[in-house]
Amino acid sequence: MSPMKLCVPGDKLCSAEDCIPGTGVYLRHGYIYSSLAGYVLRKNEGEELPVISVVRETETQLLPDVGAIVTCKVTSINPRFAKVHILYVGSTPLKDRFRGTIRKEDVRATEKDKVETYKSFRPGDIVLAKVISLGDVQSNYLLTTAENELGVVVAHSEAGAQMVPISWCEMQCPLTHSKEFRKVARVQPEYLQA
Amino acid sequence: MAGLELLSDQGYRLDGRKATELRKLQARMGVFTQADGSAYLEQGNTKALAVVYGPHEMRGSRSRTLHDRAVINCQYSMATFSTAERKRRPHGDRKSTEMSLHLKQTFEAAVMTQLYPRSQIDIYVKILQSDGGNYSVCVNAATLAVIDAGIPMRDYVCACTVGFVDETPLADLCYAEENGGVSSLALALLPRGGQIALLQMDARLHQDHLETLIEAAMTACKGVSKVLDEVVRQHLQEASVLTGE
Repeated sequence: MSPMKLCVPGDKLCSAEDCIPGTGVYLRHGYIYSSLAGYVLRKNEGEELPVISVVRETETQLLPDVGAIVTCKVTSINPRFAKVHILYVGSTPLKDRFRGTIRKEDVRATEKDKVETYKSFRPGDIVLAKVISLGDVQSNYLLTTAENELGVVVAHSEAGAQMVPISWCEMQCPLTHSKEFRKVARVQPEYLQA
Repeated sequence: MAGLELLSDQGYRLDGRKATELRKLQARMGVFTQADGSAYLEQGNTKALAVVYGPHEMRGSRSRTLHDRAVINCQYSMATFSTAERKRRPHGDRKSTEMSLHLKQTFEAAVMTQLYPRSQIDIYVKILQSDGGNYSVCVNAATLAVIDAGIPMRDYVCACTVGFVDETPLADLCYAEENGGVSSLALALLPRGGQIALLQMDARLHQDHLETLIEAAMTACKGVSKVLDEVVRQHLQEASVLTGE
Protein backbone atom coordinates (compact mmCIF):
# COMPACT_ATOMS: atom_id res chain seq x y z
CA MET A 1 0.00 0.00 0.00
CA SER A 2 1.35 3.41 -0.85
CA PRO A 3 2.35 5.41 2.26
CA MET A 4 -0.70 7.22 3.55
CA LYS A 5 -0.54 10.86 4.41
CA LEU A 6 -0.61 11.94 8.04
CA CYS A 7 -2.92 14.75 8.97
CA VAL A 8 -3.88 16.71 12.06
CA PRO A 9 -7.07 18.58 12.98
CA GLY A 10 -7.41 21.71 10.90
CA ASP A 11 -5.36 20.50 7.91
CA LYS A 12 -6.84 21.53 4.60
CA LEU A 13 -7.17 18.33 2.58
CA CYS A 14 -8.73 19.34 -0.69
CA SER A 15 -11.46 21.39 -2.28
CA ALA A 16 -15.09 20.29 -2.07
CA GLU A 17 -15.16 19.98 -5.84
CA ASP A 18 -12.50 17.24 -5.89
CA CYS A 19 -13.88 14.90 -3.24
CA ILE A 20 -16.95 14.10 -1.18
CA PRO A 21 -16.42 14.45 2.59
CA GLY A 22 -16.52 11.18 4.57
CA THR A 23 -15.89 10.57 8.27
CA GLY A 24 -13.30 12.50 10.28
CA VAL A 25 -13.50 15.58 8.05
CA TYR A 26 -15.60 18.70 7.86
CA LEU A 27 -16.59 21.20 5.20
CA ARG A 28 -15.93 24.89 5.49
CA HIS A 29 -16.05 27.62 2.85
CA GLY A 30 -15.90 25.08 0.03
CA TYR A 31 -12.83 23.24 1.35
CA ILE A 32 -12.52 19.95 3.18
CA TYR A 33 -10.55 20.04 6.44
CA SER A 34 -9.49 17.20 8.69
CA SER A 35 -10.99 16.97 12.18
CA LEU A 36 -8.94 14.04 13.48
CA ALA A 37 -5.25 13.19 13.80
CA GLY A 38 -4.73 10.19 11.57
CA TYR A 39 -4.32 9.03 7.98
CA VAL A 40 -6.06 10.39 4.93
CA LEU A 41 -7.99 7.75 2.99
CA ARG A 42 -9.32 8.35 -0.49
CA LYS A 43 -11.79 5.78 -1.74
CA ASN A 44 -13.39 5.58 -5.14
CA GLU A 45 -16.97 4.55 -4.53
CA GLY A 46 -17.82 4.21 -8.20
CA GLU A 47 -19.47 7.61 -8.45
CA GLU A 48 -17.71 10.51 -10.09
CA LEU A 49 -15.99 11.87 -6.99
CA PRO A 50 -13.85 9.88 -4.51
CA VAL A 51 -14.79 9.89 -0.83
CA ILE A 52 -12.14 11.35 1.45
CA SER A 53 -11.99 10.42 5.13
CA VAL A 54 -9.53 10.38 8.00
CA VAL A 55 -8.99 7.19 9.96
CA ARG A 56 -7.15 6.37 13.17
CA GLU A 57 -5.60 3.06 14.21
CA THR A 58 -7.74 2.83 17.32
CA GLU A 59 -11.43 3.16 16.62
CA THR A 60 -13.10 6.09 18.30
CA GLN A 61 -16.10 5.57 20.49
CA LEU A 62 -19.13 4.76 18.41
CA LEU A 63 -22.52 6.06 19.42
CA PRO A 64 -25.73 4.18 18.65
CA ASP A 65 -27.37 5.89 15.72
CA VAL A 66 -30.95 5.69 14.47
CA GLY A 67 -31.39 2.53 12.42
CA ALA A 68 -28.36 0.73 13.85
CA ILE A 69 -28.66 -2.86 15.04
CA VAL A 70 -27.46 -3.09 18.62
CA THR A 71 -26.84 -5.94 21.03
CA CYS A 72 -28.13 -5.28 24.51
CA LYS A 73 -28.72 -6.95 27.83
CA VAL A 74 -32.06 -6.68 29.60
CA THR A 75 -31.72 -5.18 33.06
CA SER A 76 -35.29 -4.85 34.24
CA ILE A 77 -38.81 -5.44 32.98
CA ASN A 78 -42.07 -3.74 33.66
CA PRO A 79 -45.57 -4.29 32.22
CA ARG A 80 -45.05 -1.27 29.99
CA PHE A 81 -41.42 -1.55 28.85
CA ALA A 82 -38.10 -3.29 29.33
CA LYS A 83 -34.93 -1.46 30.24
CA VAL A 84 -31.69 -2.58 28.63
CA HIS A 85 -27.99 -1.78 28.59
CA ILE A 86 -26.61 -1.38 25.07
CA LEU A 87 -23.35 -3.32 24.84
CA TYR A 88 -22.45 -3.54 21.13
CA VAL A 89 -23.28 -1.35 18.18
CA GLY A 90 -23.17 -3.61 15.14
CA SER A 91 -20.07 -5.64 15.87
CA THR A 92 -18.15 -2.93 17.73
CA PRO A 93 -18.13 -3.26 21.53
CA LEU A 94 -18.81 -0.07 23.42
CA LYS A 95 -16.39 0.97 26.13
CA ASP A 96 -19.22 2.29 28.22
CA ARG A 97 -22.81 1.10 28.44
CA PHE A 98 -25.64 3.19 27.11
CA ARG A 99 -29.14 2.75 28.44
CA GLY A 100 -32.09 1.88 26.22
CA THR A 101 -35.79 1.16 26.51
CA ILE A 102 -37.93 -1.31 24.59
CA ARG A 103 -41.55 -0.30 24.91
CA LYS A 104 -44.34 -2.86 25.02
CA GLU A 105 -45.69 -1.78 21.64
CA ASP A 106 -42.27 -2.11 19.99
CA VAL A 107 -41.66 -5.73 20.96
CA ARG A 108 -43.63 -7.27 18.09
CA ALA A 109 -44.93 -6.10 14.75
CA THR A 110 -48.31 -7.85 15.08
CA GLU A 111 -50.84 -7.92 17.98
CA LYS A 112 -49.02 -5.13 19.72
CA ASP A 113 -51.66 -4.66 22.43
CA LYS A 114 -51.58 -8.33 23.47
CA VAL A 115 -47.85 -8.31 24.25
CA GLU A 116 -46.76 -9.25 27.75
CA THR A 117 -43.18 -8.18 28.47
CA TYR A 118 -42.86 -11.02 30.98
CA LYS A 119 -43.40 -13.45 28.14
CA SER A 120 -41.05 -11.64 25.77
CA PHE A 121 -37.95 -10.83 27.81
CA ARG A 122 -36.48 -11.59 31.19
CA PRO A 123 -33.66 -9.80 33.00
CA GLY A 124 -30.29 -11.12 31.85
CA ASP A 125 -31.35 -11.93 28.28
CA ILE A 126 -29.17 -10.81 25.40
CA VAL A 127 -31.34 -9.13 22.79
CA LEU A 128 -30.73 -7.89 19.25
CA ALA A 129 -32.65 -4.67 18.68
CA LYS A 130 -32.77 -1.71 16.35
CA VAL A 131 -32.55 1.92 17.44
CA ILE A 132 -35.65 3.86 16.45
CA SER A 133 -35.00 7.10 18.26
CA LEU A 134 -32.41 8.84 20.38
CA GLY A 135 -35.18 9.73 22.79
CA ASP A 136 -36.06 13.09 24.25
CA VAL A 137 -34.52 14.85 27.23
CA GLN A 138 -35.77 12.48 29.89
CA SER A 139 -35.75 9.12 28.19
CA ASN A 140 -33.06 6.79 26.94
CA TYR A 141 -32.51 5.36 23.49
CA LEU A 142 -35.73 3.82 22.17
CA LEU A 143 -35.27 0.38 20.64
CA THR A 144 -37.50 -2.01 18.78
CA THR A 145 -37.52 -5.78 18.27
CA ALA A 146 -40.48 -5.74 15.89
CA GLU A 147 -38.78 -7.73 13.15
CA ASN A 148 -38.14 -11.41 12.58
CA GLU A 149 -34.39 -11.13 12.95
CA LEU A 150 -34.60 -9.11 16.15
CA GLY A 151 -35.31 -10.36 19.64
CA VAL A 152 -33.75 -12.63 22.23
CA VAL A 153 -30.61 -14.46 21.09
CA VAL A 154 -29.23 -15.80 24.36
CA ALA A 155 -31.36 -16.55 27.40
CA HIS A 156 -30.90 -18.63 30.49
CA SER A 157 -33.68 -20.77 31.92
CA GLU A 158 -34.77 -20.70 35.52
CA ALA A 159 -32.61 -23.78 36.05
CA GLY A 160 -29.59 -21.79 34.86
CA ALA A 161 -28.87 -23.48 31.56
CA GLN A 162 -28.67 -21.71 28.22
CA MET A 163 -31.92 -22.31 26.35
CA VAL A 164 -32.44 -23.45 22.79
CA PRO A 165 -34.99 -21.63 20.58
CA ILE A 166 -37.80 -23.82 19.31
CA SER A 167 -40.12 -21.26 17.75
CA TRP A 168 -40.46 -17.51 17.43
CA CYS A 169 -42.09 -17.32 20.85
CA GLU A 170 -40.66 -20.21 22.85
CA MET A 171 -37.31 -21.46 24.09
CA GLN A 172 -36.59 -24.77 25.76
CA CYS A 173 -34.15 -25.59 28.53
CA PRO A 174 -31.91 -28.56 27.63
CA LEU A 175 -31.68 -29.76 31.23
CA THR A 176 -35.26 -29.63 32.48
CA HIS A 177 -36.99 -29.62 29.05
CA SER A 178 -39.31 -26.92 30.27
CA LYS A 179 -40.44 -24.33 27.74
CA GLU A 180 -40.34 -20.63 28.43
CA PHE A 181 -41.84 -17.77 26.50
CA ARG A 182 -39.54 -15.27 24.82
CA LYS A 183 -39.67 -13.14 21.69
CA VAL A 184 -36.98 -15.09 19.86
CA ALA A 185 -34.83 -13.72 17.03
CA ARG A 186 -34.80 -15.78 13.88
CA VAL A 187 -31.35 -17.27 13.50
CA GLN A 188 -29.64 -16.23 10.28
CA PRO A 189 -29.08 -19.25 8.01
CA GLU A 190 -25.30 -18.68 7.89
CA TYR A 191 -25.04 -19.06 11.66
CA LEU A 192 -26.81 -22.40 11.82
CA GLN A 193 -24.39 -25.25 12.30
CA ALA A 194 -24.84 -28.01 9.80
CA MET B 1 8.38 46.59 42.64
CA ALA B 2 11.81 47.74 43.80
CA GLY B 3 14.72 45.80 42.45
CA LEU B 4 12.73 43.57 40.10
CA GLU B 5 13.04 44.67 36.52
CA LEU B 6 10.58 42.85 34.33
CA LEU B 7 12.20 44.11 31.16
CA SER B 8 15.79 45.29 31.23
CA ASP B 9 17.15 48.02 28.99
CA GLN B 10 18.79 45.44 26.75
CA GLY B 11 15.42 43.80 26.30
CA TYR B 12 15.89 40.76 28.56
CA ARG B 13 13.28 39.50 30.98
CA LEU B 14 13.73 37.98 34.43
CA ASP B 15 14.49 34.54 33.08
CA GLY B 16 16.70 35.80 30.26
CA ARG B 17 14.12 35.60 27.49
CA LYS B 18 13.41 38.28 24.96
CA ALA B 19 10.03 39.99 24.92
CA THR B 20 8.43 37.76 22.27
CA GLU B 21 10.17 34.54 23.22
CA LEU B 22 8.10 31.59 24.45
CA ARG B 23 9.18 29.20 27.18
CA LYS B 24 10.45 25.75 26.26
CA LEU B 25 7.47 23.55 25.41
CA GLN B 26 7.66 19.80 25.82
CA ALA B 27 4.71 17.47 25.58
CA ARG B 28 3.79 13.80 25.41
CA MET B 29 0.53 12.23 24.31
CA GLY B 30 -1.04 8.98 25.40
CA VAL B 31 0.54 8.87 28.84
CA PHE B 32 -2.36 6.89 30.36
CA THR B 33 -3.84 3.81 28.75
CA GLN B 34 -6.94 3.69 30.95
CA ALA B 35 -8.33 7.02 29.78
CA ASP B 36 -9.61 7.61 26.26
CA GLY B 37 -7.08 10.38 25.75
CA SER B 38 -4.32 11.91 27.83
CA ALA B 39 -1.41 14.31 27.51
CA TYR B 40 1.34 15.78 29.64
CA LEU B 41 2.65 19.22 28.81
CA GLU B 42 5.42 21.38 30.24
CA GLN B 43 5.80 25.03 29.37
CA GLY B 44 8.89 26.28 31.15
CA ASN B 45 8.32 25.33 34.77
CA THR B 46 4.54 25.01 34.52
CA LYS B 47 3.53 21.36 34.22
CA ALA B 48 0.02 20.13 33.47
CA LEU B 49 -1.63 16.78 32.95
CA ALA B 50 -4.84 16.51 30.93
CA VAL B 51 -7.13 13.49 30.69
CA VAL B 52 -10.17 13.04 28.45
CA TYR B 53 -12.99 10.53 28.81
CA GLY B 54 -15.72 10.12 26.28
CA PRO B 55 -17.95 10.55 24.52
CA HIS B 56 -20.10 8.44 26.82
CA GLU B 57 -23.60 8.46 28.19
CA MET B 58 -24.56 11.42 30.32
CA ARG B 59 -23.79 10.78 33.98
CA GLY B 60 -25.02 12.66 36.96
CA SER B 61 -27.95 14.94 36.23
CA ARG B 62 -29.73 13.55 33.16
CA SER B 63 -31.65 16.77 32.75
CA ARG B 64 -28.54 18.47 31.41
CA THR B 65 -28.44 16.31 28.25
CA LEU B 66 -28.58 18.28 25.04
CA HIS B 67 -30.58 16.60 22.30
CA ASP B 68 -28.42 17.81 19.44
CA ARG B 69 -24.87 17.90 20.80
CA ALA B 70 -22.52 16.61 23.45
CA VAL B 71 -22.03 18.30 26.81
CA ILE B 72 -18.40 19.11 27.63
CA ASN B 73 -17.60 18.78 31.29
CA CYS B 74 -14.30 20.33 32.37
CA GLN B 75 -12.61 20.19 35.70
CA TYR B 76 -9.52 22.19 36.54
CA SER B 77 -7.57 21.49 39.71
CA MET B 78 -4.14 22.19 41.10
CA ALA B 79 -2.06 19.71 43.01
CA THR B 80 -1.43 20.73 46.61
CA PHE B 81 2.30 20.70 45.92
CA SER B 82 2.06 22.83 42.78
CA THR B 83 2.62 26.23 44.37
CA ALA B 84 5.32 27.69 46.57
CA GLU B 85 3.17 27.23 49.66
CA ARG B 86 1.13 24.05 50.02
CA LYS B 87 -2.34 24.68 48.69
CA ARG B 88 -4.99 24.21 51.30
CA ARG B 89 -7.98 23.76 49.00
CA PRO B 90 -7.19 22.30 45.57
CA HIS B 91 -10.77 21.85 44.36
CA GLY B 92 -13.92 23.86 44.54
CA ASP B 93 -12.47 27.28 45.15
CA ARG B 94 -13.59 30.23 43.09
CA LYS B 95 -10.56 30.32 40.82
CA SER B 96 -10.79 26.62 39.94
CA THR B 97 -14.48 26.91 39.14
CA GLU B 98 -13.85 29.93 36.96
CA MET B 99 -11.01 28.20 35.14
CA SER B 100 -13.17 25.12 34.59
CA LEU B 101 -15.86 27.30 33.06
CA HIS B 102 -13.34 29.02 30.76
CA LEU B 103 -11.97 25.68 29.63
CA LYS B 104 -15.49 24.48 28.90
CA GLN B 105 -16.25 27.54 26.80
CA THR B 106 -12.98 27.20 24.93
CA PHE B 107 -13.50 23.58 24.00
CA GLU B 108 -17.13 23.99 23.11
CA ALA B 109 -15.91 26.29 20.36
CA ALA B 110 -13.42 23.81 18.94
CA VAL B 111 -14.81 20.31 19.49
CA MET B 112 -17.42 19.17 16.98
CA THR B 113 -20.03 18.36 19.59
CA GLN B 114 -22.90 18.06 17.13
CA LEU B 115 -21.58 14.64 16.09
CA TYR B 116 -22.34 13.19 19.54
CA PRO B 117 -25.87 14.11 20.61
CA ARG B 118 -27.02 13.24 24.11
CA SER B 119 -23.58 12.30 25.37
CA GLN B 120 -20.87 13.78 27.54
CA ILE B 121 -17.17 14.45 27.07
CA ASP B 122 -15.09 14.88 30.25
CA ILE B 123 -11.87 16.89 30.27
CA TYR B 124 -9.88 16.87 33.49
CA VAL B 125 -6.76 18.98 33.84
CA LYS B 126 -4.43 19.02 36.80
CA ILE B 127 -1.59 21.46 37.32
CA LEU B 128 1.38 19.65 38.80
CA GLN B 129 3.63 22.66 39.03
CA SER B 130 2.44 26.21 38.68
CA ASP B 131 4.75 28.90 37.33
CA GLY B 132 2.44 31.27 35.51
CA GLY B 133 0.19 30.90 32.47
CA ASN B 134 -1.91 28.18 34.12
CA TYR B 135 -4.89 28.64 31.85
CA SER B 136 -2.80 28.56 28.67
CA VAL B 137 -0.89 25.45 29.66
CA CYS B 138 -4.18 23.73 30.54
CA VAL B 139 -5.70 24.56 27.16
CA ASN B 140 -2.63 23.30 25.30
CA ALA B 141 -2.49 20.08 27.31
CA ALA B 142 -6.23 19.51 26.90
CA THR B 143 -5.98 20.01 23.12
CA LEU B 144 -3.41 17.24 22.88
CA ALA B 145 -5.52 14.99 25.11
CA VAL B 146 -8.65 15.54 22.98
CA ILE B 147 -6.67 14.75 19.81
CA ASP B 148 -5.31 11.63 21.52
CA ALA B 149 -8.87 10.54 22.37
CA GLY B 150 -9.84 10.78 18.70
CA ILE B 151 -12.61 13.31 19.28
CA PRO B 152 -13.03 15.43 16.13
CA MET B 153 -12.01 19.06 16.44
CA ARG B 154 -12.13 21.92 13.97
CA ASP B 155 -8.55 22.89 14.63
CA TYR B 156 -5.99 22.91 17.42
CA VAL B 157 -6.69 25.25 20.33
CA CYS B 158 -3.54 27.05 21.36
CA ALA B 159 -3.39 29.49 24.22
CA CYS B 160 -0.89 31.97 25.53
CA THR B 161 -0.76 34.56 28.27
CA VAL B 162 0.72 37.90 27.31
CA GLY B 163 1.44 41.02 29.33
CA PHE B 164 2.22 44.65 28.70
CA VAL B 165 5.27 46.30 30.25
CA ASP B 166 7.00 49.53 29.18
CA GLU B 167 5.05 49.78 25.93
CA THR B 168 6.22 46.26 25.00
CA PRO B 169 4.09 43.15 24.91
CA LEU B 170 5.68 40.17 26.70
CA ALA B 171 4.70 36.72 25.47
CA ASP B 172 4.19 33.71 27.77
CA LEU B 173 4.34 35.17 31.25
CA CYS B 174 5.86 33.37 34.18
CA TYR B 175 4.65 33.61 37.78
CA ALA B 176 6.96 36.46 38.80
CA GLU B 177 5.83 38.53 35.83
CA GLU B 178 2.14 37.81 36.39
CA ASN B 179 2.36 38.96 39.99
CA GLY B 180 4.68 41.83 39.22
CA GLY B 181 1.89 44.16 38.27
CA VAL B 182 1.78 43.34 34.57
CA SER B 183 -1.55 43.68 32.76
CA SER B 184 -1.97 40.11 31.57
CA LEU B 185 -4.28 38.83 28.88
CA ALA B 186 -4.95 35.18 28.13
CA LEU B 187 -5.95 34.25 24.60
CA ALA B 188 -7.07 30.91 23.19
CA LEU B 189 -6.83 30.74 19.42
CA LEU B 190 -7.73 28.35 16.61
CA PRO B 191 -4.51 29.06 14.68
CA ARG B 192 -5.38 28.12 11.13
CA GLY B 193 -8.45 30.25 10.82
CA GLY B 194 -7.20 32.90 13.23
CA GLN B 195 -10.41 32.56 15.24
CA ILE B 196 -10.35 33.52 18.90
CA ALA B 197 -11.98 30.92 21.15
CA LEU B 198 -11.55 32.81 24.40
CA LEU B 199 -10.02 36.08 25.49
CA GLN B 200 -9.70 36.81 29.16
CA MET B 201 -8.29 39.79 30.96
CA ASP B 202 -8.93 41.31 34.33
CA ALA B 203 -6.31 43.99 34.62
CA ARG B 204 -6.22 47.60 33.59
CA LEU B 205 -4.97 48.46 30.12
CA HIS B 206 -5.29 51.54 27.96
CA GLN B 207 -7.44 50.78 24.92
CA ASP B 208 -4.73 51.99 22.53
CA HIS B 209 -2.52 49.13 23.60
CA LEU B 210 -5.20 46.44 23.24
CA GLU B 211 -4.67 45.98 19.50
CA THR B 212 -0.91 45.39 19.83
CA LEU B 213 -1.41 43.08 22.78
CA ILE B 214 -3.90 40.90 20.94
CA GLU B 215 -1.61 40.79 17.90
CA ALA B 216 1.29 39.68 20.08
CA ALA B 217 -0.91 37.04 21.70
CA MET B 218 -1.99 35.68 18.32
CA THR B 219 1.62 35.45 17.13
CA ALA B 220 2.61 33.64 20.31
CA CYS B 221 -0.31 31.20 19.93
CA LYS B 222 0.72 30.43 16.37
CA GLY B 223 4.21 29.66 17.68
CA VAL B 224 2.70 27.29 20.24
CA SER B 225 0.62 25.61 17.54
CA LYS B 226 3.77 24.79 15.56
CA VAL B 227 5.25 22.97 18.54
CA LEU B 228 2.01 21.11 19.27
CA ASP B 229 1.77 20.12 15.61
CA GLU B 230 5.26 18.57 15.83
CA VAL B 231 4.27 16.62 18.91
CA VAL B 232 1.09 15.25 17.30
CA ARG B 233 2.81 14.23 14.09
CA GLN B 234 5.60 12.50 15.98
CA HIS B 235 3.09 10.64 18.12
CA LEU B 236 1.26 9.49 14.98
CA GLN B 237 4.54 8.30 13.44
CA GLU B 238 5.43 6.34 16.56
CA ALA B 239 1.97 4.80 16.76
CA SER B 240 2.08 3.76 13.12
CA VAL B 241 5.50 2.15 13.56
CA LEU B 242 4.13 0.07 16.45
CA THR B 243 1.10 -1.12 14.49
CA GLY B 244 3.35 -1.93 11.57
CA GLU B 245 1.78 0.27 8.93
